[in-house]
Amino acid sequence: MNKILGAITLFYHKLGSYPWFYSISSKLLPISTILAFMIFLLGIVWGIFYSPSDVTQGEIYRIIYMHVPAASVAQSIYFSLAIAGFVYLVWKMKMAGLFIKAMAPIGASFTILALISGAIWGQPTWGTWWVWDARLTSTLVLLLFYLAIIGLYSSFDNKKSADQAVSILAMVGAVNLPIIKKSVDWWNTLHQPSSIRIFEESTISSEMLYPLLICILSFYLMVFVFGLMAMRTEIAKREMTKDWFKKMVEKND
Amino acid sequence: MIFLKSFFSREVLIYSKKSSNVIGPVIFFLICIAFFPLAISNDPNELSRLAPGLIWICILLAGMLSIQTIFKEDYDDGSLDLFYVRRFSMLQVVLIKIFVNWIFTALPLILLSCLMVFLLYFPLEKLLNLIGSLFIGTLIISFFGALAGALSLGRNSILASAIMLPLSLPVLILGSSASTYSSENITFFILLLLALLFFSVPIISIACIGAIRLHYE
Repeated sequence: MNKILGAITLFYHKLGSYPWFYSISSKLLPISTILAFMIFLLGIVWGIFYSPSDVTQGEIYRIIYMHVPAASVAQSIYFSLAIAGFVYLVWKMKMAGLFIKAMAPIGASFTILALISGAIWGQPTWGTWWVWDARLTSTLVLLLFYLAIIGLYSSFDNKKSADQAVSILAMVGAVNLPIIKKSVDWWNTLHQPSSIRIFEESTISSEMLYPLLICILSFYLMVFVFGLMAMRTEIAKREMTKDWFKKMVEKND
Repeated sequence: MIFLKSFFSREVLIYSKKSSNVIGPVIFFLICIAFFPLAISNDPNELSRLAPGLIWICILLAGMLSIQTIFKEDYDDGSLDLFYVRRFSMLQVVLIKIFVNWIFTALPLILLSCLMVFLLYFPLEKLLNLIGSLFIGTLIISFFGALAGALSLGRNSILASAIMLPLSLPVLILGSSASTYSSENITFFILLLLALLFFSVPIISIACIGAIRLHYE
């Protein structure tokens, strides 16, 4: 038991070091990129060409293979930002601040993707591009939170203060998001209820569910890849003048 | 206790000396309210239907104006630095500053909202609901505004609004629902607003202190 705990602590401490992260991520990056691409291709091809068409919606429902993963990823990234904010504020781990900086634009992009794909899906099925329904509105608010984090970060010159400021905002926002979600529920109108249930039986047929789950998995892998790249870029920006970084670059050349 | 009292009177003195901080939101609120009938319609029925939402939107926008004043002036002239260096209890400083700011910027607006019975044909029987929800709601908005102001000290005001507006969304929804719906449902919304207030006071005050501290590291 102690050994496992020790290993986790060691990993956690290593995670805080820029050089360790930079070298380990350069090994992880190619593998995970290929993996993400393959799984994405598998999920999308299966979903678009080999899964049955929906009884009521016909072929248009296939946008679900983009929309649901994007929305799920967008929410999870915000959750991870809040955790990183907590880690930064409590243990002052500089990597956590860097993580928020790197992930916020990615999260914002996936939120926009979810909103746009939702609008494209909504047009033929509901007859309208946009509805002020609970889930659409809270996704829009999620986008506003992402934009606030990005804007707040860019307004600081000092990276340390910027990290601290966005950590506070990410945490307060995460506390507030469930409240916003609940309060937006009052006019829950057109949106169909969630189809994937973890603890109950899904209302979606398994032939549609498997490609969807694969797509969701591939989106998470994609976020992992994008996140690694963005964090490496940010590390490079911050540590450009440091010795270890120069050595690392020379070695690779 | 002496500190609380003297700090409170200091804050009150500052607001009474610099009346533009108090009058500014009031003028802004009235102008905003005046725009709606001009832009939408002067039909009394339609206006009275829209009135709760309009009042809440204008209160929120006016609150956006006043968030800059909570910490900014003390930050600019260096008093905040002194509070920090002299190891004043930042919790007391933050709470008093927010409360006095609320008294001087939100309270006049709440009183002015009574006028909306005439200006926007707000139904008189719901006035008590509106005032009650405004009392709680503006306090919450003041706290969120203080956090936004503290995070964006010395930066542009657009940023502060971008932080504050999404945070205050639940207040807007609950508050305008409390002043729209019939009196049977009102306790539900008022209780939710109260819950939100008691929930956000400790969290936001701590976050505020953290936000102020980061400017001195």
